Amino acid sequence: MKMMTFGEEIFKSVNCIGFSLLSPAEIRKLSVVEIQTADTYDEDGVPITSGLMDGRLGTLEPRQKCRTCGNTASSCPGHFGLIELAEPVIHVSFVKLVYKLLQNSCRNCGKIMLPQEKIDNFRNSIKENIERLNTVPEDVYKKILKTAKSHECPYCGAKRYPIELAKPTSFYESIESGAIKLTPSSIRERLERIPEEDLELIGMNTSTARPEWMVLQVLPVPPVSVRPSITLESGIRSEDDLTHKLVDIVRINQKLKEAMESGVPINIIQELHDLLQYHVTTYFDNEVSGIPPARHRSGRPLKTICQRLRGKEGRFRGNLSGKRVDFSARTVISPDINLDLNEVGVPIDIASKLTVPERVTKWNIEELKKYIENGPDNYPGALYIVRPDGRRIRLEFVTERKELAESLQFGFIVERHIKKGDTVLFNRQPSLHRMSIMAHVVQVLPYKTFRLNPCVCPPYNADFDGDEMNLHVPQSEEARTEAKLLMQVQDQILSPRYGGPIIGAIRDLLSSAYILTNKSTFLEREQVNRLLVASGYNNAIPEPDIKKPNHLWSGKSIFSLFLPKGMNFTSKSNLCTMYKCKKCLKEKCLYDSYIVIKDGILKQGVIDKNSIGAEKSESLFHRIVKDFGPEDARSFLNSIAKLLDRFITSRGFTYAIDELEVSDKIKEKIKSAMNKTENKVNELINKYKTGSLERLPGQTMDGSLEIYIMNELSKVRDLAGEYAEGYFSSDNNGIIMTRAGARGSMLNIGQMTACLGQQSIRGKRILRGYRDRTMPFFQLGDAGAEARGFVYSSYRSGLNPIEFFFHAMGGREGLVDTAVRTQQSGYMQRRLINALEHLKIEYDGTVRDSSGNIIQFKYGEDGVDAAKSDHGKAVNIERLIESVKLVFPKGSKASKKFIEEEIVKVKANLPNALKNRLRNALLEEDGSRKFVEEVINRVLENYNKSLIEPGEAAGIISAQSIGEPGTQMTLRTFHFAGVREQNVTLGLPRLIEIVDARKMPSTPMMTVRLDKDCRKSKKKAQEIASMITPTSLEDIAMIESVITDMKIYARLDPQAMQKRGVSMGNVETAIEAIRYDVEVNGHDIEVSLKDVEIPKFQKFSQSFKSIIIKGAPDVKRTLVLEEEGEWIIRTEGSGLGYVLNLPGVDPRRTSSNNIHEVASTLGIEAGRNIIIQEAINVLEEQGLDVDVRHVMLVADMMTSSGDVLQVGRHGVSGEKASPLARAAFEIAIPTMVDAAIKGTQDPLKGVAENVIVGREIPMGTGSIEVYMSMRKK
Amino acid sequence: MSRRSKKLIELNFNLFEHELIPKHEILTETEVKGLLERFHIKPYQLPYIKASDPAVKWIGAKPGDILKISRKSLTAGESLIHKYVVEG
Repeated sequence: MKMMTFGEEIFKSVNCIGFSLLSPAEIRKLSVVEIQTADTYDEDGVPITSGLMDGRLGTLEPRQKCRTCGNTASSCPGHFGLIELAEPVIHVSFVKLVYKLLQNSCRNCGKIMLPQEKIDNFRNSIKENIERLNTVPEDVYKKILKTAKSHECPYCGAKRYPIELAKPTSFYESIESGAIKLTPSSIRERLERIPEEDLELIGMNTSTARPEWMVLQVLPVPPVSVRPSITLESGIRSEDDLTHKLVDIVRINQKLKEAMESGVPINIIQELHDLLQYHVTTYFDNEVSGIPPARHRSGRPLKTICQRLRGKEGRFRGNLSGKRVDFSARTVISPDINLDLNEVGVPIDIASKLTVPERVTKWNIEELKKYIENGPDNYPGALYIVRPDGRRIRLEFVTERKELAESLQFGFIVERHIKKGDTVLFNRQPSLHRMSIMAHVVQVLPYKTFRLNPCVCPPYNADFDGDEMNLHVPQSEEARTEAKLLMQVQDQILSPRYGGPIIGAIRDLLSSAYILTNKSTFLEREQVNRLLVASGYNNAIPEPDIKKPNHLWSGKSIFSLFLPKGMNFTSKSNLCTMYKCKKCLKEKCLYDSYIVIKDGILKQGVIDKNSIGAEKSESLFHRIVKDFGPEDARSFLNSIAKLLDRFITSRGFTYAIDELEVSDKIKEKIKSAMNKTENKVNELINKYKTGSLERLPGQTMDGSLEIYIMNELSKVRDLAGEYAEGYFSSDNNGIIMTRAGARGSMLNIGQMTACLGQQSIRGKRILRGYRDRTMPFFQLGDAGAEARGFVYSSYRSGLNPIEFFFHAMGGREGLVDTAVRTQQSGYMQRRLINALEHLKIEYDGTVRDSSGNIIQFKYGEDGVDAAKSDHGKAVNIERLIESVKLVFPKGSKASKKFIEEEIVKVKANLPNALKNRLRNALLEEDGSRKFVEEVINRVLENYNKSLIEPGEAAGIISAQSIGEPGTQMTLRTFHFAGVREQNVTLGLPRLIEIVDARKMPSTPMMTVRLDKDCRKSKKKAQEIASMITPTSLEDIAMIESVITDMKIYARLDPQAMQKRGVSMGNVETAIEAIRYDVEVNGHDIEVSLKDVEIPKFQKFSQSFKSIIIKGAPDVKRTLVLEEEGEWIIRTEGSGLGYVLNLPGVDPRRTSSNNIHEVASTLGIEAGRNIIIQEAINVLEEQGLDVDVRHVMLVADMMTSSGDVLQVGRHGVSGEKASPLARAAFEIAIPTMVDAAIKGTQDPLKGVAENVIVGREIPMGTGSIEVYMSMRKK
Repeated sequence: MSRRSKKLIELNFNLFEHELIPKHEILTETEVKGLLERFHIKPYQLPYIKASDPAVKWIGAKPGDILKISRKSLTAGESLIHKYVVEG
């Protein structure tokens, strides 16, 4: 395609795409040639006239002119031909619809088999729906088809015969004399008879699609450009799969024609017709079930039309939604701390291949002349000159470049090499969130890799173990401007996922910061000079902290030099979490882990991950970004990165194997702890064998033993780790790394030095392998530590062969897990993106989809953009008050009344929650009136600044924010917090379950809270729990079914009844529903079944046993436990409707985790709340920070139809207005077919559609349009 | 879910006291007009709520009505939204 040059006008753009069927008349009109010869080229390689490669179909050779339009290959669009079919053939894609039409229309008069009054009713309902909803729900049409089932035509009285569809394309009608095959021509005739009005009743638009067009009389032949033949090196021509298929069709068609003309027996004609049908069917779709796929000579199935469109590499996803691009580069990445945060090092080889068009002006003409002289091979040079008339001069072919350079004129465009300072886009796949593509500034460097500052690794999720990244060069002024304004690294520091920095110091920088800012670090003058020069500090050197005997500077004061002036900050360091202080001593912290910064000076505290680390909210770095802006944050991070790098380079940092060695004494201690545990385990096993082991509730004996043993073993691993940890001094480099948060954890150190611990598969000890043992040399049923995968050794000491094998098993599971997880979370992400991509913020603050339907009235209910928020909050009131305090010294205290009044004034402009927080904060402070006014003004100002901007693609951001952390989640199910017995699905599977809106969660669960009278007593709680647990008849009665008498006897057991709290009345009401004769005599029940077949009797006697007398039928188990001072009931399985009405239950605070159940018993709003609650729970449990606003948007999208819809093709995505967008997501062909028969018009308002047609997407910058009101005449 | 529990069970407590269910109210005609004008929309552009929804039944709203729902909000404290009652 020709690239658009400056000044070239767009004079037409696609406004809307309509879908329809091609009528035979239209096919004939479009066609330029009738194909009659089943051949392509003759011996000389010349296309055969009226063959499949006829010259009139367009041209393939670059210099050849088209015989129809006279254009050469580059501008000839190709022209259709046609095949006149000897007999009509059914189009496979429409078979289902043809079937429905045949079933529901009269075989005689063609009218729909519905009486007039019903038709009128349906017409009205269609009209009503259009009026009310502006569309007709699919259900209405379905209902019409369902109702049209009368046996006789209400109009002409013709009888209706059942019609069978024999897949894929044959129809049989069973009339009295037997089943008759309907020929396509007779089907076509029937379809022709169906009147227009009746077709409207099933949703067809007859102006664009007549049903008889679904039976083909003529077959369009696509132009050769659609199916080009390729010439192999050996000179042999190879034809496209479609051409092969068309050859088959033409051949059989010719044969059939001849056969019909020469009066061949009917069965031979029938056979030929079937063959023709087969070829046409496979021509359209070669993966139809029921027929063998057509194959190439080599045995490979042919890729025909449907296969070209479908799937990831198909036309929709592979070529329309995503395209290959020019002006891009890809290579391995490596780190370079000397680069600026927003720079990218581009190898010179790449820089001299990528170009940017630059227009010649009087300011750059000399420079550009130079580039032209240098040509394509000498950097910096140029590749092309584009003259205003559009002619391109390729410098590669110009020998006299000097002369050409002299002839350069203003207005020419030179495509020059990229150079230092150009803006480019840098990307690493998978592009899971918007920070995966950021704008960097080019720095041309030697060698072959892209270089980037290691601090930008977290947003790209990049490391340097061979990762490759892509680089794209924006080509237009508009694109560059947008990239610079929106996509630069410093503008992406704050993640929209949680409103905190995602960029920051990592790895060694953190170790370095920890060492540098340690209390005991002092630097000499020479060192200070070196560090400051390297980090670009160009002010005076501060006063030394120690003057005698020689000048020394503390690490803290060197670090302070880079803190913004006037910064005040306090927080805790990462180190703090390692000590379990009962009470924080704050400034008097013994470990120097309480950070105090006053006026830009680090007074105390160690700087580590919690202060400058990536992905840490509310840290020192976060404060710098929020309070001083991204530019200051960038230069801060740049300087300290260089400072810390130089420091750790000069100090040296390594973790050597001798640093993992512990003393013999500790080794002895660890060994004895292990011996002790081994004994304990053996004891447990003995107890188990003798049967004196206490069984855990809800567990089998085996299960209980496993749990006990695992507890013991994990204890000893931790203990061994602790012993080792105690041995290492704080100058051990491994300890430094974990304390600074640079890499590794205490657990890792323990595993390396003391004991590796239990290897597990699926959260259990290793149980698989041989029968009753894991390896052949263990005793059968050996449940000891060693036999089930406990590794006593450490990595340092090395594993013995048995341990090594177990370790490999556990390691394998980890690898499999990761592979499965990436797939699952990738698909979830794709679905989320597709479901939400078209949501954007409108100018009235609402969130709407592309057809203007409101999804949220205010984004996130308070209109605050998570990316602009302060860790989810619109305004950080505490910090704001602190900073205002400094400016306003204390005056006379403002009265409470004054504060209240001032607050009321701004009430309308602030969300309620923020207003309340503000009021409480002000009431606690004793500031002056001026102070109060200033605080309120600043809050208002900050709130308005944090609001989301109109045009923002809120949907995509939310989808990314939920999808991206999916990759970090575990795949395991987890024990329930506190209650060991209850397993709940968590992690990625549960998140997928929520987003899928499954009818039944894999672990349904209720939390039943009790009313005032019952919540304090365990006994009452247990009573209620027993009411919830279902009791079947079997549980309280002896049941005997006597097949010879056809009777079932049940004798109720009064004791069992009392134990379960069942009354006689319960039993009676429960058995009332039985349809057979029931006789109740005291405790005896007799059911007699008369005239019932034996299998039915047996079936009934089974179901009789399990009649639920009392309780919620789907509840499996109940658990009574104490939580927050009250007794509550947790159930496994749920039955909300039953439980809510139980006496003693507090229905207000009782709910279930089954979204559909909650939505149907408590309403869609409650359903929405459960979706939010459950999703937040999962994310929180996994330790992932995701703003609620994102979860809320997903929940609102899922519930906005009134039903809970899944995020996927059967739910939210399936409801999208645009057929193109639906086709590009999944199920491409049925979607297009449906759009064609309905004559749908795609207004191209969404994202996917506009990507497909190649327009700017209507989001952000693209949502601005210019309207002009014309003066009326 | 078994067939039995599919059947809607009459709940014998005030639905709107449940912690998960916000208050639903029917808008008057003038309120509806104001709402539609404020957002420049037709009723069908609002989010839907089914006429069979327990909360809708509780307040006796009919298809075509527009509801005002006062949600408790995790971010804003409280938030007002509107839904259009549709058949089903």
